[in-house]
Amino acid sequence: MALFIQLIVEGLATGSIYGALALAIVLVNRATGMINFAQGAMAVLSTFVAFALAQAGVPLLLAFLIAFAFAFLFGAAVERVIIRRFEKGDPDTAVVVTIGLFVLIGGIAAAFFGYEPQQFPSLFPLDSVNILGASVSVRSLGIIIVLVIVMVLLQLLFRTTKLGLAMRSVADNPESSALSGLPVSRLLMIGWGLASLLGAIAGVLVAPQLFVSPGMLDFVLVYALAAAILGGLDSPVGAVVAAWIIGVVENLAGAYVDFIGNDLKIAVPFVVMIIILIVRPQGLFGRKVVVRV
Amino acid sequence: MKPKPLNRVQKLWRTATASRWVRIAFTVVVAVVLAVIPLVSSKSINGQLSTMAVYAVAILGLSIMMGYAGQVSLGQSAFLGFGAYIAAYGVNQNWPVPVIFLACLAIPALAGLLVALAAARLRGLALAMVTIALPIIGIPLAKRFSDFTGGSVGTTVSWMKVPDWAAGFLANDQWRYYVVFVIAGLLFVIGRNLVKGRIGRAFAILKENEAVAIAMGVSPYRYKVLAFTIASMFGGAAGFLYLVVYQYTSPETLSFHVSINMVASMVIGGSGSILGALLGGVYYQLVPVIAGQIDPSSTALISGAILLLVLFLVPGGIVSLPRRILQVSRHARRRIGRSATTQNPPDRALAPAATSPESTEKSERKRQGHDELP
Repeated sequence: MALFIQLIVEGLATGSIYGALALAIVLVNRATGMINFAQGAMAVLSTFVAFALAQAGVPLLLAFLIAFAFAFLFGAAVERVIIRRFEKGDPDTAVVVTIGLFVLIGGIAAAFFGYEPQQFPSLFPLDSVNILGASVSVRSLGIIIVLVIVMVLLQLLFRTTKLGLAMRSVADNPESSALSGLPVSRLLMIGWGLASLLGAIAGVLVAPQLFVSPGMLDFVLVYALAAAILGGLDSPVGAVVAAWIIGVVENLAGAYVDFIGNDLKIAVPFVVMIIILIVRPQGLFGRKVVVRV
Repeated sequence: MKPKPLNRVQKLWRTATASRWVRIAFTVVVAVVLAVIPLVSSKSINGQLSTMAVYAVAILGLSIMMGYAGQVSLGQSAFLGFGAYIAAYGVNQNWPVPVIFLACLAIPALAGLLVALAAARLRGLALAMVTIALPIIGIPLAKRFSDFTGGSVGTTVSWMKVPDWAAGFLANDQWRYYVVFVIAGLLFVIGRNLVKGRIGRAFAILKENEAVAIAMGVSPYRYKVLAFTIASMFGGAAGFLYLVVYQYTSPETLSFHVSINMVASMVIGGSGSILGALLGGVYYQLVPVIAGQIDPSSTALISGAILLLVLFLVPGGIVSLPRRILQVSRHARRRIGRSATTQNPPDRALAPAATSPESTEKSERKRQGHDELP
């Protein structure tokens, strides 16, 4: 039982990391209808900024805040300079554009910081606490709590502020929003900036565990994409719930099913994803898209 | 509107390519050059050219799926690796070479068919996600079934040596070059015929608009499955050729990054074009080598920058470069002509060629407008 609880909490913690990046993907998809394959690479670059600042002796929390600000501006700049040209075009081209960004930004991070994985300072202490007889690391609990706070803040932003209302309206119908006087292109920039910020949060949370390197988030990104698709691509809550399911299922299957073991557990969420998508092509929480001719 | 008058280069090009004989002569020249190269060049160049052909085949499959049928695939490397593993298994079991080749076509195609039967129910990006999962699942599977695959070390084979009758005048690398190029050439002919025919037209309408496809009696589901199966078959064939060239395969062949680089190469070469797939294969092999010579640590930086530059400047890929240059230069010339006429009107007499086509077009349009009046 102790092991079971421990596995679930650890699963929720890794799921929370996937969830933060999945939220970023959903945000971009709602705003611009794209899937951003560079979301992970952008997050890694911001994490490297935090890393460099921490190396230079800046207090950790301040380094994180500066990195988040960088992430926001960087995301907004990427939208303005590169993505804008491809927003109205062919969605397949847009996918390839973000793949190009993925390669390019990874290359930038590597050119500045090298490919060698480096130790990253953690915000949480290394202690563990006792819950119902299971020892659970403070780090895992901290990650889960941070993600829940982020989700609540996002919901507050979208539900209660004028900015959030404007962003929802742009996501819903850009043409009408522009006609009602909303600065659509600036709102899209803010959307990309927010997504990039969410990615940076995922990056600094996971970095102490994985060590920072340019390819650090490649696998996390794939899980996050799976979570976003599974959750229905336009539902933030769906993305996070799907990410939690993925994290927990992966952990439990790896531990309890002998054939799967530690090496094949990476395949479990994808098999689950494929099965769910075949039964419900619109995802767990997604709305069915009706195409009108 | 009258078609725009062609300039001299274009006219020459049209007449040159219109003739069947010129085209045949061109093909023959290319074939002769490709046949002579291995005899005069070094072993490493032969290896590199063969590798280009290997990836060109895999990229052709990808291009049929993405460029022609409009379905994003990020899993082509899985089929490349699968084909290579099947070939390696066949070699170790002493199967005859034709059997190995057919197995490398049929088994990946079957696997692709099974995946597609499930995945083709999905639309657009969800389908891309399922294809991403293939290399991600494939690598641990390849490591797990080490009896077949040799685990994470990979498996080395020794085959496709030069046969006895040719041993006197050909080395192993030259013989493998010919094997790879003949098979790749055949696969390109098959690919070309596929996309020029009925299936190609169905793919075009599927890419354009699924609703219209249904209205025209083209089942999107069936043709997505078909596109995926064809892409998997070409991937498997490329895996066979890969094992001919490298004599070795490992889980790295399946890697997600191989897929990403293939997508990038396909777009840079020219998506939805047979020649573009060929150029993509050349790019895939060549650019890491060149970038590595400039600065090994910034290979990713350079290839990412090239991909974005191509998307910005030549969205059709290298294959559309000549057309794109003509288009841009015509545009620029017209703009220069226009600014010349507006800025100093006396110059108009000096630049009649630049302004006249436009003015005739305008008058023509006006005339048509008059005709339409009741």
